[in-house]
Amino acid sequence: MGALHLKVNGDELDVAAPSHWTLLEVLRYRLGLTGSKQGCDKGDCGACTVLLDGKPVLSCLTLAAMIEHRAVTTIEGLMPAHIANGGTGADPIQDCFDRCGALQCGFCQSGMMLSARALLDRVEQPTPEQVREALSGNLCRCTGYTQIFQAIELALADRAGTKPAPRAWEAPRDTEAAPRQA
Amino acid sequence: MSARDRHGKEAPWGEFGVVGKPHRKIDGLAKATGAAVYADDIVLPGMLHAKTLRSPHAHARIRSIDTSAALALPGVIAVLTGPELPIKYGVIPWTPDENALAVDKVRFIGDPIAAVAALDEDTANAALKKIRVEYEPLHAYLDPRESLTRHDPKIHEDKKDGNISKHVLLEFGAVDAEIAGSDVIVEDEYSFHGTTHAPIEPHCAVATYSADGVLTVWSATQITHYVHRALASVLELPPHRIRVIQPCLGGAFGGKSDPFSLEFCVAKLAMKTGRPVKMLYTREEVFYCHRGRHPMQMRYRSGASKDGKLRGVDAKILIDGGSYSSFGLVTTYYAGQLLTGPYAFPSYRFDSTRVFTNKPPCGPKRGHGSVQPRFAFEVQLDQIAEKLALDPIEIRRTNFVGEHTTTVNGQRITSNGFLACLDQVERASAWKTRHGKLPFGRGLGVAGSMYISGTNYPVYPNKMPQAGIQLKVDRSGLVLAFTGGNDIGQGSNSVVQYIVAEELGLQLDQVRVVAADTDLCPVDLGAYSSRVTFMVGNATIDACRKLRAQIVGALAEHWKIDAKRVRLIHGEAIDLDDASHHMPVIEAFHLAEEKSDTLGSTGSYNTPELGGPYRGGTIGASPAYSFTAHVAEVSVDVETGRIRCENVWIAHDCGRALNPMLVAGQMEGSAYMGVAEALMENHDVNRFGLHSGPSLLDYRIPTSVDTPELHALIVESLDPEGPYGAKEAGEGPLHPSIPAIANAVFDAVGIRLKHLPFTPGKVLAALAERDARAKSDAVEPTLTARKR
Amino acid sequence: MLRLPRFEVATPKTVGEAIARLAEAGPSAMVIAGGTDLLPNLKHELFTPELVVSLSAIEALRGVRVEDDGTLAIGAMTTLAEVAASELVQKHAPVLAQAASLVAGPQLRTMGTLGGNVLLDTRCQWYNQTYFWREALGFCMKKDGTKCHVVEGGKKCVAAASNDSAPALMTLGSLLEFEGPSGRRTQAIDDFWLADGIYNKKVAHAELLTEIRIPPTGPGHRGAYGKLRERGSIDFPLLGVAARVDVVAERITRADVVVTALAAQPKRIARVADVLVGVAARGEELDRAIEAVAASAAKQCNPLANIPGDHEWRKAMVPVFVRRTLRAAVDGNGPVHGD
Repeated sequence: MGALHLKVNGDELDVAAPSHWTLLEVLRYRLGLTGSKQGCDKGDCGACTVLLDGKPVLSCLTLAAMIEHRAVTTIEGLMPAHIANGGTGADPIQDCFDRCGALQCGFCQSGMMLSARALLDRVEQPTPEQVREALSGNLCRCTGYTQIFQAIELALADRAGTKPAPRAWEAPRDTEAAPRQA
Repeated sequence: MSARDRHGKEAPWGEFGVVGKPHRKIDGLAKATGAAVYADDIVLPGMLHAKTLRSPHAHARIRSIDTSAALALPGVIAVLTGPELPIKYGVIPWTPDENALAVDKVRFIGDPIAAVAALDEDTANAALKKIRVEYEPLHAYLDPRESLTRHDPKIHEDKKDGNISKHVLLEFGAVDAEIAGSDVIVEDEYSFHGTTHAPIEPHCAVATYSADGVLTVWSATQITHYVHRALASVLELPPHRIRVIQPCLGGAFGGKSDPFSLEFCVAKLAMKTGRPVKMLYTREEVFYCHRGRHPMQMRYRSGASKDGKLRGVDAKILIDGGSYSSFGLVTTYYAGQLLTGPYAFPSYRFDSTRVFTNKPPCGPKRGHGSVQPRFAFEVQLDQIAEKLALDPIEIRRTNFVGEHTTTVNGQRITSNGFLACLDQVERASAWKTRHGKLPFGRGLGVAGSMYISGTNYPVYPNKMPQAGIQLKVDRSGLVLAFTGGNDIGQGSNSVVQYIVAEELGLQLDQVRVVAADTDLCPVDLGAYSSRVTFMVGNATIDACRKLRAQIVGALAEHWKIDAKRVRLIHGEAIDLDDASHHMPVIEAFHLAEEKSDTLGSTGSYNTPELGGPYRGGTIGASPAYSFTAHVAEVSVDVETGRIRCENVWIAHDCGRALNPMLVAGQMEGSAYMGVAEALMENHDVNRFGLHSGPSLLDYRIPTSVDTPELHALIVESLDPEGPYGAKEAGEGPLHPSIPAIANAVFDAVGIRLKHLPFTPGKVLAALAERDARAKSDAVEPTLTARKR
Repeated sequence: MLRLPRFEVATPKTVGEAIARLAEAGPSAMVIAGGTDLLPNLKHELFTPELVVSLSAIEALRGVRVEDDGTLAIGAMTTLAEVAASELVQKHAPVLAQAASLVAGPQLRTMGTLGGNVLLDTRCQWYNQTYFWREALGFCMKKDGTKCHVVEGGKKCVAAASNDSAPALMTLGSLLEFEGPSGRRTQAIDDFWLADGIYNKKVAHAELLTEIRIPPTGPGHRGAYGKLRERGSIDFPLLGVAARVDVVAERITRADVVVTALAAQPKRIARVADVLVGVAARGEELDRAIEAVAASAAKQCNPLANIPGDHEWRKAMVPVFVRRTLRAAVDGNGPVHGD
């Protein structure tokens, strides 16, 4: 078991792990970075998505030995990077997911937020179609994706200093409007 | 129901400060930053990893198991087989038919047989391959119709009625006479395929057994309390020496509401080895665990008068239960009991039979038992409207059951916002100008539904509260709420936080919640049957009001004023009539503690007596029902047979939206899941009884590019018994998606889809049949017909 | 978690070093490029190598360039995402850019390589399963067993070629550059395939695919890819159709249609050029010609129930997708997907 030289969330690390271990296994069970999730075992769900040199990849289908010296970003890396860049608290993507209710069970969302982060880093004003396409390798079983799209719209609006389109939950509710009978 | 269980729909202090607003979730940022701990994130010192050996046979007797070679493998610490855990369990106490590991028989491909605990997963896997099992294969039942008539061999030898799991026949009113006297009668067959929950988190459990004999199990479960009871029974341990904890849960949808083999295995292996043990299922094993939606073959016969009013509904349902009972007794009732709203049935009969087959066991999936009959009936209602040339929304209005009424099968309905739901989807979808008028290939369809907000039937009979809560007030100003409720992502812990903050006039960050830990929290029955917001919410209000009385009393005494003048708001205690009287709520806590005692309170909830006066009359009897209407918009490519669902307008009466953002999320997630079941997902076995594709590649759940635009329209009917008037929102809004799509396809291309899933092959076949019929009737064929 | 079998990993820096490692280790060594096909197959115990030789550190195998004569040369380790996004590929070989853009989902395209996609293992519902599942089945002739469960009594494996890039490259007349222990060789992709689902490629052990070469396509070159799959992302093809239509002076001068995901090897639809070449690139004559090609393709294709999904529907979709993809090629508005 040789030592792997990994660069995770900016940290240069020497990690001992068997050579047949995936990056996901090394992250979760060697480095304790359990924010990257395992959902499908083999590249079908996207829950294990991390950024490799800024691009979303599946850590369950990446041998740790193949990505030595390349920059890995996990969900745990976003907030510290945001703070190091002068921000406060969570990364805007994380914050917007929370503000839009996009985190139901949350299990798929580490990967989802990293796919979203990469898109926003790459494209200044992505279209709704580009957003859907960029997230199409991350399965979510809770939300029906709607509040995820809204979270990304909110992050884009915040970045542009504009307001997002009104969301379903903001509509005025006609309380007790239920007709009494047929 | 005692007085303490009813708290009214009004705001505790006149107007709501927290409730009704889109607050963040209590655990949102923990999940967003990767800090939230799920079961497989738990690592304990010296922890072993366990794996399960599973049956390669659909039905076989076990002649012998030899584990010696496995045990001899270096790194293997313990091996466990069925005879070490001989006591059967099952979530429903009347039908215990599962063993943690097979004792004498296996009943489906994937049935657990043995478990190995080793230093790592690779070693455990290697050991599994060294276990020798001798089988005597038996006839495998893959077709539920065969199970209905053939009883040799029996899948469960101790069942009295052959391979029949449960039969229910209930009749209300003179069904045959009513239907015979109807102006229009529609009789047809419908079928619903199997679907599964597919939460993204696989099942996982971790156990430790302490030197002083305390067993602790962390499990990805949505029913901590029932797991606690099942562990005590199967492991033959006194319950007070067992602690069950649900960590953060990565989705469930009903798929984690049975006790599962892995929970018993890690517990027993921890006891055998004196070391912590973890078992994480592979995705394939999650498919074998299943407990998903039951396949149903349904025949409905309904009669209506000319004006569209229903006179009678007669249903016969065959339910494929798979290999074990699970919640099957309840499923068999729900398949009939939950259809009697939002439409009035003057007469109704259902005859439903659940049979065993040698397939992964079915159980409760979101909308348990009622999604399948709802599909069949809502299509049939459209067929009636078609025959009578009535507008599909209008016929649903015509048959509205009303509010504060009783259904034909004796269910008490309180608030009912269904008509408002219909109005909302009609308006939002521009139904009046578009239904029946869109170009060929595009259509709109409507469907309605009702669902329970919990039921008054606890799975084991007892008169204790169904939901309990405990509040602890800290001198720091923090209020901690302890709830047995299981937050499975739906946000139940957030609901507790909102209510405590509302009732005690606190900021949200002054309230934290400890949940689903059987040592720390009072009992709650778990996250199933959409009971949590309603029951835990009411229990929380109950506890808060007791605590509030202590604090307000201390303030009134301190300020020498009437208690009615005291108000707690935004973390401050104030006197409504004298601005000089105010203090931070933390000081009010100190004052109350000085004057009375260590501050805390308990609260609980129990349903009123409900249900019809007959056997099974309480099953499906809920303290409040939610109501939903959907309009789906589809386009159909008549060349490829593909249906694209483009929009779903979802109007849902949730009583009151305690957090409209979370309610909208439940509505959208439900509709998404329904659309997926209609168009994509299929949980089945092949001709060998092998799962036809136990992976998230072959079991296709929609991606972000496959999901329609979902439009949530919240309706609030303010229920007299819900917490501030709230009812459920997590399951009801799934039901209408499927029939709404079927009915929209009829509007688009004139074919009635009655057998799920709506694959392109079936669409093309139906179009060809329609064209053949059209030719013989001298009507224009599909491609040119109905150009509107 | 579903585990990988134990193996060692080598990460050579040069092609020569990689070949030497493979040759030295013999058949117990395998190559890994992006890993998106190999690693799931290893998790399913379809292969159990002792050594996995990663090409990830060989920089020379990456990149897209146009040579002086107009040949488009793509390094085998260029990712599918890079191929799809490459302006050079979009310009010279639109069918390939489109096919690459529709492989799997975004992450898998970022990881997966063009070379890896060309060399993708064939797929079958009885094969791409775990060891437990296959053992319960009694295995199949492609791995660990003798029977075929697609064709009862079948003697030949009918697992399906499922690589989206293959038919696209065939319509482009592509050449595959290999380097092995005995030197280099160039292989026309048209002659690369075997009608054997067990292994459908002519590659020797320790031979590396280094480059994919696409001969110059003229200014009138047009192409499109059509992909049938159940979801709009992630899924393998249920049917893939690559169409080439070169148009010069408003007349079709060259035409080709290759389909995949039906049988063990991609299939060139016969007599496409006969029908289409010389036809005007618009109007009724074109419509009739495309319809004729579609009808002919339907007769030539008989998909089996090898991959998951309704094979009768896949058959019914052959003429529809051939027609739509040819139309998209002529009109320059491919790919055909998702409707």
